[in-house]
Amino acid sequence: MSSQLAFHVDLSSCTGCKACQMACIDKNDLELGQRWRRVYEFTGGDWVKMGNAYINSVFTYFTSVSCQHCEDPICVNVCPSGAMHKREDGIVLVDTQKCLGCRYCEWACPYGSPQYNPTLGKMGKCNFCYDLIDAGGKPACVEACPMRALDFGPLDEMVARYGDLRDPAPLPISSITHPSVIFTPHRNTYPAGSNEGQIANKEEV
Amino acid sequence: MMNVRDFALVAFTILSQMAVGSMIVLGIVHFFAIRKAGMQEADRLSDQILPAIGIVLGAALVVSLTHLGSPLNAPLAILKLSTSWLSREILFTVSFFVVGAIFSFMQWRSLSSFAVRNLVAWIAAILGLMQVFSMSHIYMISTEPAWNSIATPISFFTTAFLLGSLAIGTAMVLNYNINRRKDQKCAEVQCGLLRDSLRWISIAAIVLLGVEVVLAPLYVTSLAAGATTAAESASLMLNQYGLIFAFRLVLVFIGAGILGIFIYRNALSPGREKILGNLTYSAFALVFIAELMGRFLFYATHIRLGLF
Repeated sequence: MSSQLAFHVDLSSCTGCKACQMACIDKNDLELGQRWRRVYEFTGGDWVKMGNAYINSVFTYFTSVSCQHCEDPICVNVCPSGAMHKREDGIVLVDTQKCLGCRYCEWACPYGSPQYNPTLGKMGKCNFCYDLIDAGGKPACVEACPMRALDFGPLDEMVARYGDLRDPAPLPISSITHPSVIFTPHRNTYPAGSNEGQIANKEEV
Repeated sequence: MMNVRDFALVAFTILSQMAVGSMIVLGIVHFFAIRKAGMQEADRLSDQILPAIGIVLGAALVVSLTHLGSPLNAPLAILKLSTSWLSREILFTVSFFVVGAIFSFMQWRSLSSFAVRNLVAWIAAILGLMQVFSMSHIYMISTEPAWNSIATPISFFTTAFLLGSLAIGTAMVLNYNINRRKDQKCAEVQCGLLRDSLRWISIAAIVLLGVEVVLAPLYVTSLAAGATTAAESASLMLNQYGLIFAFRLVLVFIGAGILGIFIYRNALSPGREKILGNLTYSAFALVFIAELMGRFLFYATHIRLGLF
């Protein structure tokens, strides 16, 4: 699909400040507990013996994760009403008029992207700020990033510019849903499924 | 891991599977009752039980609405039959209910011929089996390692037939007691049919107990040997929920196994209807509770792949 929109996240420059997360909450007026963009802190390391000395191999990098607007979105495949759908430009959206609030998409999505809103009785998720994009603007998270670590554009363009890394740890393997997010690795980036580190800020995501 | 809405799903899946199993077991009982005692006695055995199955399934459908955030949108759930097993499951559940209700009505009013009614009953039974099949596929998705295995359909069908058999046994005992009060004359033939049916029901229950007792440890060991998330599910099952896991197996063993043997022995000769009835009620109650516990574990121990 040539018209697939994609995000780019530069892990080598992200400082984990969460401005993207805050901008998302602000732009979409999200209720407490709704986090359409989240920043995962992946941390590891140990004491490593080098000659007669022990040095540490401690590392941390931050991964900003929203909906991956997958090319093969499992949430769209399982949704019984068609509320979860893919726009022509590849953005995965919830049609709240059709959503039952059955939460099947929540069971299926390996990124925790569709989130249940108990006030509405419907699912909510990152909509790529399609209203801003349609008006020629940028998504709120991209606009807010002080490190310029976030970018967006057509998937093929993003791949040409930034490479094709789609599943750095702690993300799940990309073969499940073929996500449309390209990552620039941090120097300590490990592949999906790695046990070299763990998510250190579980209470924040 | 367990949400309040999951309890609605425990009730819905158990009750609807029991309804499917009951419909099919009742069909088999009716078939053999005709050969043994003729149409009139066979109908007397089963006609009162049919609407009860409808009530159970209707209750299941109402309960299923309570897990939705927007229940008014429920009818939209059948729009994605081409991709979603959930759509298919809902379509099959509702059509099983409708065709079952039509059959029940035809049977009650003796509408049309026996052949036509038989055909309608067959359609209902097949729709019911499709319902259990598609329900198991809802859970068999690649991001849910604890669910994505052959153990899911095996356990759903076992639940359907185990609970279905014992529910029909229980309903037959109730029906027999009512019939006997109304008309002493019919009692002897009906009593014979009841004892024959309960013998076979107890055998079925013991066989299905065997399936569950073999499946449970195989399932947990294969989970434990799986990837990280699957192994975490196995550890939840054995540690945090270990007591429920063990208690559930003990209950189903007593209900279907030990009481099953007693039902079989007491159904061999006439004159023990009272104790036979009480044994059947107890077996059904124990197995019903065990199956609820098993389904609770199903929802409480699954862990999705990926990020939360």
